[in-house]
Amino acid sequence: MEQFLQQLLNGIAWGSIYALIALGYTMVYGVLKLINFAHGEVYMVGAMTGYYAAHALGFAVEPSFAGLFVVLVLSMAACAALGATIERVAYRPLRSAPRLASLITAIGISLLLQNGGQLLFGADPKFFPSLVAPREVVRAGGLAVSNIQLFVFGTTMALMVGLQLVVTRTRFGRAMRAVSVDAPAAALMGVPVDRVISGTFMLGSALAAAAGILVGLSNPKIDPLMGLLPGLKAFVAAVLGGIGSIPGAMVGGLLLGVVETLISAYVSSTYRDAIAFVILIAILLYRPTGLFGTGQVEKV
Amino acid sequence: MSQLELAGITVRFGGVVAVAKLDLRVDAGQLVAMIGPNGAGKTTAFNVITGVCPPTEGSVRFDGERIDGRAAHQVCRRGIARTFQNIRLFRSLSVLENVRAALVGAHRSWRADVLRGAAWYDGEAANGAQARELLERLGLARFAAARADSLPYGEQRRLEIARALATRPRLLLLDEPAAGMNPSEKKALRQLILQLHREFALSIVLIDHDIPFVMNLCERVSVLDHGEKIAEGPPEEVRRDPRVIEAYLGTPDESPAHA
Amino acid sequence: MTRGARTAAVLIAAFLLLVLADQGLPRVLNSYYLTILARIAIAVLAAVSLQLVNGFTGQFSIGHAGFMAVGAYTGAALSVYGSAPLLADLQAWFPASVARALYFPIPLVVGGLAASLAGLLVGIPALRLRGDYLAIATLGFGEIIRIAILNIDAVGGARGFSLTEQAGVDLRYESLGAIGAVVAISVALIARLVYSAGGLAFRAVRDDETAAEAMGIATTRVKVEAFAIASFFAGVAGALFAHAEGYVHTNSFSFVRSFEIMAFVVLGGMGSLTGAAVAAAVLTAAPELLRGLGEWRMVLYSMLIILTMLVRPQGLLGTRELSLGFLSRRLAARPPET
Repeated sequence: MEQFLQQLLNGIAWGSIYALIALGYTMVYGVLKLINFAHGEVYMVGAMTGYYAAHALGFAVEPSFAGLFVVLVLSMAACAALGATIERVAYRPLRSAPRLASLITAIGISLLLQNGGQLLFGADPKFFPSLVAPREVVRAGGLAVSNIQLFVFGTTMALMVGLQLVVTRTRFGRAMRAVSVDAPAAALMGVPVDRVISGTFMLGSALAAAAGILVGLSNPKIDPLMGLLPGLKAFVAAVLGGIGSIPGAMVGGLLLGVVETLISAYVSSTYRDAIAFVILIAILLYRPTGLFGTGQVEKV
Repeated sequence: MSQLELAGITVRFGGVVAVAKLDLRVDAGQLVAMIGPNGAGKTTAFNVITGVCPPTEGSVRFDGERIDGRAAHQVCRRGIARTFQNIRLFRSLSVLENVRAALVGAHRSWRADVLRGAAWYDGEAANGAQARELLERLGLARFAAARADSLPYGEQRRLEIARALATRPRLLLLDEPAAGMNPSEKKALRQLILQLHREFALSIVLIDHDIPFVMNLCERVSVLDHGEKIAEGPPEEVRRDPRVIEAYLGTPDESPAHA
Repeated sequence: MTRGARTAAVLIAAFLLLVLADQGLPRVLNSYYLTILARIAIAVLAAVSLQLVNGFTGQFSIGHAGFMAVGAYTGAALSVYGSAPLLADLQAWFPASVARALYFPIPLVVGGLAASLAGLLVGIPALRLRGDYLAIATLGFGEIIRIAILNIDAVGGARGFSLTEQAGVDLRYESLGAIGAVVAISVALIARLVYSAGGLAFRAVRDDETAAEAMGIATTRVKVEAFAIASFFAGVAGALFAHAEGYVHTNSFSFVRSFEIMAFVVLGGMGSLTGAAVAAAVLTAAPELLRGLGEWRMVLYSMLIILTMLVRPQGLLGTRELSLGFLSRRLAARPPET
């Protein structure tokens, strides 16, 4: 039983990461109807930025919660800027071009960041500094919860609640929802669509950066290609929850993390990475709008 | 028995009723029109007939056989062809290729195309010749090599008709063929439709909301409004029908009776 | 010249050219360059086959390497586990080199058929989806195939599969003439398929699916056909690769490879067979020949893709083919025909 609970906890931990990244995919898809293939790489950049920031500011040597907080904020800010830049340079010029061109460009950016990352950061894995000394905090029966895991849960919850508040209670959030539903109408109503889209990218990228830092804390080995698989899986999570739906991304991420971990632990671990893709295919074929999504009709 | 029979066709999209209990009959060789203000459900009715959209209720019979719910390409093979309200040509293909594609339609075989026996070459030649002939009859021969989307608007509409005719239909559905045309173009189009009606022994159903255009063209007009048929009969009768006038929100200047 | 005479002349010329390449090039170039030429030929086939789906039928598939993997591993497995008796039989009747040449098409065709079957299994469900969703589904399938193969021990699993070691006999087949012939024939067949009246259906589906359906074209069947045929040739390319290199590993067939092939198609022009071929040749040769590039290769690739989309989204040749007429018009600086 404790084994099961332990695996469940692991699943939720990974699920939170997927959820944070998935939120970026889903928000961008909502406002632009574009799959931002490069998003997984933003997560990687977040982890890398955290690594360099921690070393540069001396937090690697002297770990502290304050240091962790600073690194987190810095990384989120840097990736927000990166996200906005990508949007401005690569996606905005193609807004009126056929969808395929944007998709191909997104793939191009993804490749650029991966390979550029290998050039810039070196292809060898680095070890994210432990900014917090790991400590077992809770022990119930055979179940162990560490302070890092608590931090991961806590941060994820805080960020998701924060996002929910932004989306439902702020003007920006309303504007974002308006653009998601009908961009031309929103523009006619005076919504600054370009700024909203920029802001959406920044928000999503910041969340991905946070995910990168959290992963760095719990799985310290980081490298320039670390964004590939989690990025794809987070995308699957977004589709699972219903692409374009924010609660969908959260639920989808957690669900995927748990299912993946449990199947990997109890059925077969060699096929772990394939599970997400199998779920993807199943969703696309049987319920393409996902758990929370709404369908769209083409006019003849 | 009518060639085309719609019985009780209702189409609902979520909460919206696009077409409500529509009955329509077209006999072989008739030239009729469906008119009505925008959003009346005319194109939806076409979509139901051609298999683009299945009806929520009701049935469609062509030569006695039920075709509602069938795939669009199967409906075409049974002898119903159409043009579209918003021109849907094969943009990157040439004018000739647009027609050739429709001529081959159902008869293509990848094996034949790859292996190319003697019969294949004969088939290609025949296909090309038939396509050219069709273009000639519709006055498009000189554009044969041009890209379909490089044609002037009126010619594009005629190409859509040529392409539809290439599928050797017995019933032709024309969705707003005169849209965006000036009066002289409309006159030419009217002549063309009459000519095609005679020469190809077709039944034709037209959608339009321009009453004068259908006046001297069609033997019968059905009027739709908000998805329902509100009047049907010869054009002169229909245009004086008070319900029709009201449906068009006619002020005395705009009402169909004064067209 | 009659049609038959013309075809015969082309075939004889091609045959002579290939024999010349096969016998002559190894005397002139060292084995490194020969390997590159083989890789170029294989890349050309991969790109041209993908062009059928992406460029001509307008279905965005980014899992092509998965089908190459199926072909590669199936062909390799056949050669390793099943070729000995076949070769022995053939060698009773023919000299060794002829026997090997006669055997060689077999793993290619079997690999192609296996890949084609995979293409059907993937295509039939996936092609119900459109645009982004189709792309993601093909990506997903490509990965599932790769991971599944990775877990099959009989073909090496994570260690990879060596044709030579396993059988104890050198099963490699690096004859440039043969590889060139296979690729040339395949490209010719694909060209025949699309440049015919029936082949117009592919582009009709690409340009306007609804209209194509309304004109009697069974669009789903056309899409599945394109997919299955493209997968067949991807499988052939994979099997060629396996026999030319003598060793396969799933790492050669990851989605990075799928993206590379997609890049050839996009950069050469979505809708041009020769464009895809030229792009595949140039982009495969260049980084090999420009030694110092190393890690910069993929960075340049990606920048090239992005720039192309921003500046010239139709790619190098757009939907036109490189033909002698095209070249002469360009050279004479005359405006192109519409």
